[in-house]
Amino acid sequence: MLKRKMIKNFGWPLKTAMRETEVTRLYPEVMMELPENERGIHELDATTCIGCASCARVCPNSCIEMVHFKFGNPLKNKKMQFPQIDFGRCMFCGLCVDECPVECLKMGKKVVMAGWERKDIVKSPDFLSTKRFTAKEVADLEAEAKRVAAEKAAAAAAKKAAAAKEGPAKEGAAKKPAKEGAAAANGPAKKAAAAAKPKEGGAA
Amino acid sequence: MTNASEVLSSIQSAFPGAVLDSRVESDRRLWATIDSKKILDVCKHLTTKLNFDHYSGSAGVDWIARKEMEVVEIMASHGAHQVVAMLKVKTPRENPSVKSLTGLYWNANWYEREIWEMFGINFEGHPELYPLLLSDELMGAWPWRKDYKGYPDLTTGERAVKISTPEGYTEYHIPPTPAEVEAGTVVTVRLKYPTLREREEKEIKSDSEMIMHLGPQHAMVPGPFLLDVLVEGERVHKAFLDLGYIHKGIEKIMENRSWLQGITYTDRMCYVASLSNNECYCGAIEKILGLEVPLRAQYIRVILEELSRIQSHLIGTGEFLTLIAGVGYAPWQYMIIDRENIISLIESVTGARLTHTFVRFGGVRNDLPAGFADQCKKVLPYMKSRTEEFIELFAQDPIYHKRMDGVGIIRPDDAKRMGVSGPPLRAAGVAYDMRKEDPILVYPELDFKVVTGTKGDSADRIDVRLREMLESIHIIEQCLDRIPEGPIKTEVKVPKKVPAGEAYYRVEDPRGEMGMYVISDGGDKPYRVKVRGPFYATFQTLTPLLEGTYIADAVAIAGSMDGCPSEADR
Repeated sequence: MLKRKMIKNFGWPLKTAMRETEVTRLYPEVMMELPENERGIHELDATTCIGCASCARVCPNSCIEMVHFKFGNPLKNKKMQFPQIDFGRCMFCGLCVDECPVECLKMGKKVVMAGWERKDIVKSPDFLSTKRFTAKEVADLEAEAKRVAAEKAAAAAAKKAAAAKEGPAKEGAAKKPAKEGAAAANGPAKKAAAAAKPKEGGAA
Repeated sequence: MTNASEVLSSIQSAFPGAVLDSRVESDRRLWATIDSKKILDVCKHLTTKLNFDHYSGSAGVDWIARKEMEVVEIMASHGAHQVVAMLKVKTPRENPSVKSLTGLYWNANWYEREIWEMFGINFEGHPELYPLLLSDELMGAWPWRKDYKGYPDLTTGERAVKISTPEGYTEYHIPPTPAEVEAGTVVTVRLKYPTLREREEKEIKSDSEMIMHLGPQHAMVPGPFLLDVLVEGERVHKAFLDLGYIHKGIEKIMENRSWLQGITYTDRMCYVASLSNNECYCGAIEKILGLEVPLRAQYIRVILEELSRIQSHLIGTGEFLTLIAGVGYAPWQYMIIDRENIISLIESVTGARLTHTFVRFGGVRNDLPAGFADQCKKVLPYMKSRTEEFIELFAQDPIYHKRMDGVGIIRPDDAKRMGVSGPPLRAAGVAYDMRKEDPILVYPELDFKVVTGTKGDSADRIDVRLREMLESIHIIEQCLDRIPEGPIKTEVKVPKKVPAGEAYYRVEDPRGEMGMYVISDGGDKPYRVKVRGPFYATFQTLTPLLEGTYIADAVAIAGSMDGCPSEADR
């Protein structure tokens, strides 16, 4: 009785060997199939990123840094700041993806990120971006951004002029457009703002 | 059935003036501030008159603004009723001292030692106030106090000074810089207490006895801890445990992270049970916020937690078998192959294999993907048949039973007294399961039974785990049939700042009762998070269990507990 039971149990390896079960992964020759929801390397849609740095703020390991990148949308992302991720510290928790207000950051199925040096696994927006504008599109958008900034500045100037006309009591209101002009001066529309400034002065 | 307000009135009538402040949160939660002089009497009254036979742990809180410290004793019952009494004892911040409960509850020992080393609260009458988690260098720094300045920077090897010990070993010592001494990040006055080694050597009574190290690096459990056994021949006379080798200070880190970021740290306490840790933390905060979780999200959580329980039990059982040398075959690999199916199922929802960070305040991160139910319907019947085969395999193997029967027996009353939880407790025959005792999510609507054993030995613990897997499969099947359509996150916007309040939330971890005590002071970070881990409680019982056994059984007993030192150390 004892022997029969034991022999039955020793039959297990044979039974398992008969079944075709994949036990060893053939990586890197064959990549295992990853699900749609896989949290792998981030994918950045540079055309929609607004550079709000929400991802950088929510990151528990503070591995996201906002850096300059050329091929984004200057209309939405005035300072052209995009996330750069240090995968040496990233733990793929996905909080940055959840936090993104415009859903431009996703996590994809790509998982290979090995490098020889520590700086090799700090991935710039150039590596992360799956969607981006070409240089020509960026130039067009920059022109558009300049135009919009100029329009804004003109509108502000007109408002200021109107406020000046209304009388000296509105000194507080007059200060506001000046501030807006200063804020615009920081962005890529610097020239536009600079061009608008003399106009503003002239109108006033 | 007793409820919280009855308990409160009973204490108030028995000890007039002992309750300084109280709050009945619900039928199951009682918060009371007890006069520190009467805490022992109140606890005795609770245990003898009101069936509070489960001392579930204690937490220290440093209220620096109020210039006082608090020790919160968590009291519950093993099935007589479902009230959890949170009894607070206050003590001034200068020279804090409270009465020790070790005389009443055996398992209060470790909880109080932890509070002592972290907060510097003295426990009057505690038999062995020695460090548990911290290293000797940090003793006296009281790192979990709110005014702690931070750890000294010991990351640079250049500062290390070489010392040759009299035994001929080379040790490295990192002397503090004057700046660190001035900032108060290093301890300058050392506390006096016998080291672990001195305590061990004191127990050696004769020449035939010796001390044997099992660990910190040992195949016994996945994680480092030191188990020293005092042996005479093959017999273990006494066992000593030293943990803290992977103490990460997660509770303190969480105080410095935002509420949302805290979820990622709960994953890393125990990676095979990360979903129930997520659930515990998020559930506590949902309780403070008063958030309602949509029904679909509740079902998703239950499905994933049960899947996680299956994979945890598979790894626990499989690893145990490698420890007792496989008994002629190696089922460990079969269990790992099967576990891969479950892990793939979880990964298809959460996107990560082990550290899921999946549960959110008032919902979950992702919805179930298309085809998840079909995939489950393929995997679960297979898992069911496999588990039944495993149970049969274990039940009929004569070698296994000769090896395991009667090894490491815990009797039901001992198990209750020692505060064991989870499968080791249920194997002893005590049907104590948080899913029934403190039901959360949709568990009350689901049909499942609490699996119990009869003998309480190592074989029984494994058997309970395997049969629990069948129950989990049954739960998931029900959930898949009933899961409704709908949102997966609450529509209420979760605020960045959680209003001031406190909550204690319990879930049934694969290893037992997991509780989190979360305090908010209205800020964007937790004021205090206390994790009452299941393995911490089970771990403590290892030393008395090992006394009188053989050395070979020490591994079998410790392995059958399905240990996770990472969660015990936090």
